[in-house]
Amino acid sequence: MRNVELRVEAAGYRFACVPLGTLSGFLEWTGYFVKLYALGFLAALALIVIGGCVYLECGFADVRSDENPPSWESGLMSSAVHASVRRGAPKLQNPFSPTDERLIVGAKLYLNDCVGCHGAPGRPPSDFGATFYPRAPQFPQIGTRYSEAEVFWVAKHGIRMTGMYPQGPYYSDDELWSLAAFITRANNLPSAVLNGIAPQGSH
Amino acid sequence: MKKFVFGFVTALAVFWLGTWIYLRLGLAGVRADERAPTWEARWMASAVRASVRRSAPKMQNPMPTTIENLAAGGKLYVNGCAGCHGWLGKPPKPPETLYMPIPELPQVGTQYSDAEVFWIVKHGIRRTGMSAYGPLYSDQQMWDIAAFIENIRNLPPGVIERIQPQK
Repeated sequence: MRNVELRVEAAGYRFACVPLGTLSGFLEWTGYFVKLYALGFLAALALIVIGGCVYLECGFADVRSDENPPSWESGLMSSAVHASVRRGAPKLQNPFSPTDERLIVGAKLYLNDCVGCHGAPGRPPSDFGATFYPRAPQFPQIGTRYSEAEVFWVAKHGIRMTGMYPQGPYYSDDELWSLAAFITRANNLPSAVLNGIAPQGSH
Repeated sequence: MKKFVFGFVTALAVFWLGTWIYLRLGLAGVRADERAPTWEARWMASAVRASVRRSAPKMQNPMPTTIENLAAGGKLYVNGCAGCHGWLGKPPKPPETLYMPIPELPQVGTQYSDAEVFWIVKHGIRRTGMSAYGPLYSDQQMWDIAAFIENIRNLPPGVIERIQPQK
C-alpha cells in the first residue's frame, strides 16, 4: 500500500520505490529502461534521416568535381566498389590465353576508347581523366588490382556514380576479354606488344 | 537521461557500423547499366540543384547573347557535349547507359541559369560522368556554351546554320 502511494505522489522518486525483488517490479523497471533507451535510439535515427535530408536539400553537399576527394572517401569508396565487383563478377578465367597477338587486339580497343580518360602506355597520365570525381585510374602507370574477370565485368557493366559507363552495348564479350587481358597487364607489357601498338613512324 | 543518451549513441554506432559493413561486404550494387530508382534520381537531382544554386556566382552572362556567341557556343557543344547530352535536331538516343539519367539538353533544355550552367561546365558534377571543363576551356568559351544551352530549345534563326560544318 505504502509503495503505491509513494509512486503516485512523487514521480521523481519512482525508481526508489519499485520493489526490484518482485517480478512485477522488475518488469516495470525494464519497461522504463527500454522505453527511454528506445526513445534515444529513435531520436538518433530521426536525426540522421532529417539531418541528411536538410544537408542535401539545402545544398550543403559540395558537388564540384575539380577538387580532390578526401583520402578517407576514396579509400572507403574504392574498397566498396572492389568488394561489390568481386561479389558480382563471374568466377571465370579469361577464355583467351594472353599471347602477344591477343594483347595487341585488346590494346587496339583500349587505344580507341579508353585512353581518353585512362591514359596511354608510354605517355603521361591523362589530363582529362583527372577532371572526373572520382579520378579515372591510370592503368599504364598503376596497373590494376582487379582480376581479368573483374575487369571484364567492370568494362561490360560500368561503375555507377563515376564516369565509367557500360561498354556492354558496344562490344562483344570476346572483345571485352581481350581488353581485360590487356588492362591487367597495362603497366607491365611485353616489348613485342608495345612495339606492336606504337604509332607508325615513331621509331 | 543516461539511458536516452545510451540509446542515442547505440543508434549512431549501429548506423555507422552497418554502413561500413554494407560497403565492405560489397552489398552496394555498382553496375551502371541499371537505372537508378526514381526516388533516388529525383532526390539526388534536387540535392545537386540546391548545391549548384548555393555555389554558382550570382551574376549575369557578361557577354551579350548575339548570334555569333550562340554559334560559337553551339560549335563547342557539338564537339564536346553532344556525345552524351544529345545532338541537335535528332531524336533522343535509346535510354542512356549511365546510372543517373543524363539530361538530353536539346529536348529538355535546362532549369539552371546562365551562371549556373557556366559553373557546372567549369567545375563538373562529382560522382557523375560530368567532368570539369575548367582546365580545357576559357571562361569566354564557357559563357558561350552556357548561353547556347540556355537557348537550346529556342535558338534564333541563323544559329543552327552557322554551327553545321561547312559543306
